[in-house]
Amino acid sequence: MGQIKVERRSMRLPEWIDLRLSRLKKHIYSEKYEITSFTVREARQSDEMVFEFYDDEPRPLKMGDIYFTPDGTAFINAEFDVPKSFEGGEYRLLLKTAAEMIIKVNGAYAGGIDPNRETVEISRFVKDGHAKLEIVGYNRSKPDDERNPESLSVRGCRQIFEGGYLVKPNEKVTALIYDIELLTDAASCEIFGEDFSEHVYRELDRALNLIDFDCIDNEDIDRAREYIDEKIYSDKTYKGSGRVALVAHSHLDIAYYWRRIHSVQKNMRTALIQLRLMDKYPDFKYSHTQAYTYETLEKYYPEVFEELRERVLEGRFEPVGGMYVEPDCNVPCAESLIRQLLYGQSFFRSRFGITVDNAWLPDVFGNSWIMPQILKKSGVNYFVSNKMSTWNDTNRFPHNNFIWKGIDGTEIYACVPPTHFISWNMPSQVAGNWEAFQDKGSGTATLQMFGYGDGGSGVTEEMIELMHRFDKLSVMPQTKHVTGGEFLRSEFTEEKELETWDDELYLEMHRGTLTTKAELKDYNRKAEALLREAELVSVLNTDKGVEYPADEIREYAKKLMVNQFHDILPGSHITPVYRDAVKDFKEIISGLENIIGEEGRYFNSLNFERKEITFIPDENGNFTRKGVKGRFVKADFPALSNADLPEGESGEWFKVTRESIETPFYSARLAMDGSILSLYDKELNREWVSGEFNTLKFYADTPGNYDAWDILPGYKECPVPSEVCDPLKLMQADGECAEFCALQKTGESYWCRIIRFFRSSREIEVENIVDWKEKNKLAKVKFTCNVLSRELVCDTSAGFIKRPANANTSWQKAKFEVCCHKWCDFSETDGGVAVINENKYGAGPEPDGFTLSLLRSPVRPDPTSDTGIHDFCYVICPHGGDHVEGEINKKALEYNTPLRKNDFEYVGDTFAPLILQAMKLSEDGSMIVYRLSEQDGRRGRIKLSGKMKTLNMLEDVIGETDEIEYSPFEIITLGAEI
Amino acid sequence: MEKYINEYIRPRIQGDGGEIEFVKREGGAVKVIFRGECSKCQILDRCVGWIEQRILEDTGESVKLEYERKKPYFLDK
Repeated sequence: MGQIKVERRSMRLPEWIDLRLSRLKKHIYSEKYEITSFTVREARQSDEMVFEFYDDEPRPLKMGDIYFTPDGTAFINAEFDVPKSFEGGEYRLLLKTAAEMIIKVNGAYAGGIDPNRETVEISRFVKDGHAKLEIVGYNRSKPDDERNPESLSVRGCRQIFEGGYLVKPNEKVTALIYDIELLTDAASCEIFGEDFSEHVYRELDRALNLIDFDCIDNEDIDRAREYIDEKIYSDKTYKGSGRVALVAHSHLDIAYYWRRIHSVQKNMRTALIQLRLMDKYPDFKYSHTQAYTYETLEKYYPEVFEELRERVLEGRFEPVGGMYVEPDCNVPCAESLIRQLLYGQSFFRSRFGITVDNAWLPDVFGNSWIMPQILKKSGVNYFVSNKMSTWNDTNRFPHNNFIWKGIDGTEIYACVPPTHFISWNMPSQVAGNWEAFQDKGSGTATLQMFGYGDGGSGVTEEMIELMHRFDKLSVMPQTKHVTGGEFLRSEFTEEKELETWDDELYLEMHRGTLTTKAELKDYNRKAEALLREAELVSVLNTDKGVEYPADEIREYAKKLMVNQFHDILPGSHITPVYRDAVKDFKEIISGLENIIGEEGRYFNSLNFERKEITFIPDENGNFTRKGVKGRFVKADFPALSNADLPEGESGEWFKVTRESIETPFYSARLAMDGSILSLYDKELNREWVSGEFNTLKFYADTPGNYDAWDILPGYKECPVPSEVCDPLKLMQADGECAEFCALQKTGESYWCRIIRFFRSSREIEVENIVDWKEKNKLAKVKFTCNVLSRELVCDTSAGFIKRPANANTSWQKAKFEVCCHKWCDFSETDGGVAVINENKYGAGPEPDGFTLSLLRSPVRPDPTSDTGIHDFCYVICPHGGDHVEGEINKKALEYNTPLRKNDFEYVGDTFAPLILQAMKLSEDGSMIVYRLSEQDGRRGRIKLSGKMKTLNMLEDVIGETDEIEYSPFEIITLGAEI
Repeated sequence: MEKYINEYIRPRIQGDGGEIEFVKREGGAVKVIFRGECSKCQILDRCVGWIEQRILEDTGESVKLEYERKKPYFLDK
């Protein structure tokens, strides 16, 4: 006889408890008074604290009215007398809203309301029974935190006003609700076991049975709470294990689904809420990142900043993360990461007298191998970043508390917490963190961050109330509420047995952010190079009596730092954020170009001899490159000097036949689309091509919800065809360059490729002029090389990293798209093929070569992403020896440092063979700072012409020397007193 | 109308992660497509009303907005 499936219809115990919890929630306020004097003025924010109003006068705002507009800010006011019955005790403003509101009462900042909290205490700000409310509300279709399910239902640009009230909280009912929420969450958590669950539900049911729900009174509530104390909290039968450190934190994206200008208020609201929680809960501490956000608070809300400063000095409001913002940690170059710390720490030192000893980067999309050294030399001893543990799509990152060994061998204490950086402090989340913690044997506690975030918001009263009850639940891990710094300094000590991770912290996800929003990557590379030259030229121009424009340079540098934020530069943001970034980058670039000037002779700002082919703007030139007329010349410039350009070469130097293109370096056969079918190296007597080489490849690129972020591992399975419109033909040539052109079409997009061979260089330049109209397509260029290698060597901007080109293990397979900076190289001992780029960061290692990602076109968050005209170049550079012998790094630095004009004279050390990464005036104006970077993996000594100060990256003097001893990938900072 | 929607309405819609595209005008009807966050908004009608009101106040024209939602591929079930 078969079993009959029984569909249970009666209410289960958890459901019955939940129903009664809902009834209790109707009694959390003992008295309610409707405020009827609200008015509203709708506006749209156009800049930081600048608003364009829709109406000249406010209009009345009544319950049921629609308020807020798309991309809107609402200014809501009310004035009223507090009813006598409210006097004498605590009362609050109740306002249910999807918006984010900053509440002022009688001129004082009382707190914040948002989808995560509906009341703010105002009684302490009311004087003589009269209250004047001034509310600035900012509405988002995407509220702060998608993880709060209750906030999802209220999405939308236009909201219905649900009324505003004065309410008196019923503390007893509220306390019981917290007990029930704590216990039902714990009872539903599988980690604690069935017996515990059954026990809690049974006793909680009995406790609630003591309440007459038809007539709820405080005596019943007291009895229920006493029962819970006696039967659940006092029962220590169920034992938990583990140690969890609870750090209050709110993640704040400076720009994402909102613009940078809006993060001023988002940050203010978040900080204000935490300060008010500190007023109420003396044990509450909170950790907040990003010097930039502190700067905006100081600028626009000085009185709140002063309050915050006092809490910092008390040790309760903790600045964490020494960086200026939480930048992307793949694409910015080494000097940019150093500046993030220089400007970040400079702010924290000047305002609070502290050097923050940690990097707090919970949301970044992987971390470059160059970081440990940069962090340690910038006063940072601890590194925190979450995503590798919770987002990897292939492998489980094996550590949470460990030592991270950097590319140069520098070691730093590292914490990759086991769970997400946004949590709401429920027992199940705390237990889940310990359960997932992989370094239990190390003797360290695990880190749990709690607080809503992405757009700020932070901790709620509920989270703190629950935390205060954790000690009563014996089944839970042992918890301790600490600051981020307290956790790191107490848990990461020499006595602890920590394992070491000696590699980059590669995130097996978000690989598309290396390519999305190609224009921003282009601007970023340019701005980084220009910042270097503007500083260098400005230092050298001081000899001519020109004042170093320190403030101007710092302003541009900081703007660059902001735009390297991890949802700006990676391209994971809405359309207006992109527009803001483009505007910022244009300002940065034109400002830095103005500082450099354009008078005088061309100069070589590099500290090694320039000898590669380069493009010089010239109205009489034969070529148009990236819309500029000019000519190609073989530069011959000594290090750090001016020189005259040679006259152009003349005479025949290449031959085109039906079969091949003959140049001094190559005998090449090209396909109609510009692919190279054969590239025979006459100098090295070898063929470089063994398949698709310089071949454009198009793929369907549909990763799903994280459209701008991800490229799927199987993208190659969905190729998209292209066709040749105009086959390859010779366009023009002179004594130095021969230019061939081919036009392809894919979908609605046209892709023109100009391929340039040179008389004096083995480099082959490919310019791509693209009218890109695709949606959800990935464009790559493929290089299948006649080279046997198992590694793709990639530039990190401060040394090289080798990525597996084979795919034996899941770890190797997961690295199908990796970050490269200016170049990547596929080589044997005696030679290989490098590709040098000017603005691309995504490379795909292949068993027989590699791909370079050129363009994407995701539709979320920005439906218009990457569409339009693109014009970019890369250089194919076959070479003898490995990439070091082939001097690929120097060629790439030359390629990314176009010749500019400025007459200067440099007399001093050139520091060869180190790379002069930066030359600037120190922030205090007392020294010239030289940043030197070893990038070939060598060690050695350099005798200096005189004594110089040795500095850390914060420009503190460490010592003095007349000789540099350097080791592989070391970054050295020296100072010369003025 | 196309210029007004592109230059005035569109930046505001984009500010919330949405997207509006002008399609055509037929007499008193203006056809548009909503994408991005707008494509899945449960209270889009309120926004449509606001756009019609803005058009009336700023251009003096009373129009009816006829719209189509185009969800991103991963939501288009």
